[in-house]
Amino acid sequence: MQGAELRQKIKEVMVEELMLEQDPSEISDTVSIFGGGGLGLDSVDALQLVVGLEKHFGLKVGNSEAAKGILETVETIAREIEKSA
Amino acid sequence: MGIARYFLSRDPEACVWLGVRANRGNAENLAMEYGIRCQLIDLEVTSPTAWTLAVEKIVETSGSLDVLVNNAGMHRDCLLAAMPDDAWHSVIAANLDSVFHGCRAVVTPMMRQRFGRIINIASLSAVLPPLGQTNYAAAKAGVVALSQTLAKEVARSGITVNSLLPGYIDTEALGDMDVEARKSIQRGIPMRRFGTPEEVASAVYFLAGVDAAYVTGAAIKIDGGIF
Repeated sequence: MQGAELRQKIKEVMVEELMLEQDPSEISDTVSIFGGGGLGLDSVDALQLVVGLEKHFGLKVGNSEAAKGILETVETIAREIEKSA
Repeated sequence: MGIARYFLSRDPEACVWLGVRANRGNAENLAMEYGIRCQLIDLEVTSPTAWTLAVEKIVETSGSLDVLVNNAGMHRDCLLAAMPDDAWHSVIAANLDSVFHGCRAVVTPMMRQRFGRIINIASLSAVLPPLGQTNYAAAKAGVVALSQTLAKEVARSGITVNSLLPGYIDTEALGDMDVEARKSIQRGIPMRRFGTPEEVASAVYFLAGVDAAYVTGAAIKIDGGIF
């Protein structure tokens, strides 16, 4: 899975795993996932997201430093998954 | 052992894994009685590696791990002024470190399945500490605080975390107490009796079940009314 299909699937996983009350199509590829100004998710969500990405895509996020970069946006997650495929 | 027996006798679909180290006799008897539904697994509760291996084996064998009951513990009572370092560290390790290691080992598999029930057995000593139990009371109060904090961290993942605070329960631990001492303590309990292991087990069973889905971060005293 790659490209737009992968990005759409990541958004679906985010909505499902984090119980977000929005449609996956409303999430843009480049919106910040954490902190103000974006989706506004927190560190507890990050933990569940890491588990969800491993469960659905086999992506292993090694440590919190790596997580900061990988979990920035849907786009950064997608690139990491494509890189590790 | 009473908790495991309660689950096995009440729920015909329950599969129980008993973490054991020494004194395996009672556990082996229970395993023989219930066959495949009750299995023993080597577990030194103060060892993070032992926890990781045990949880991996259980998930691999059973496909999921729905409930963790942290029930290991030990006393080494002593007035603080005379307490050896080892009495402090060993009690903190057995009663508090063990709960930390156990919870950490199960949280990720439970998050993956988006379901889990963690029940940590603390003690009435966490809130009403008697003389000579600075180590034990501190550890058990730590268990309550750990449970409440973890409850907040994993609530969105469908995991509940609660602690139970048993008072005087009629187990082997009270077996050495003479009749007069038992009577004296019972006079201080509003219900005028010790609790039974089944009364603790039934609370664990409730917290593990669907009826307790909205109960998390609770610290429930089971003490016949002492406060």
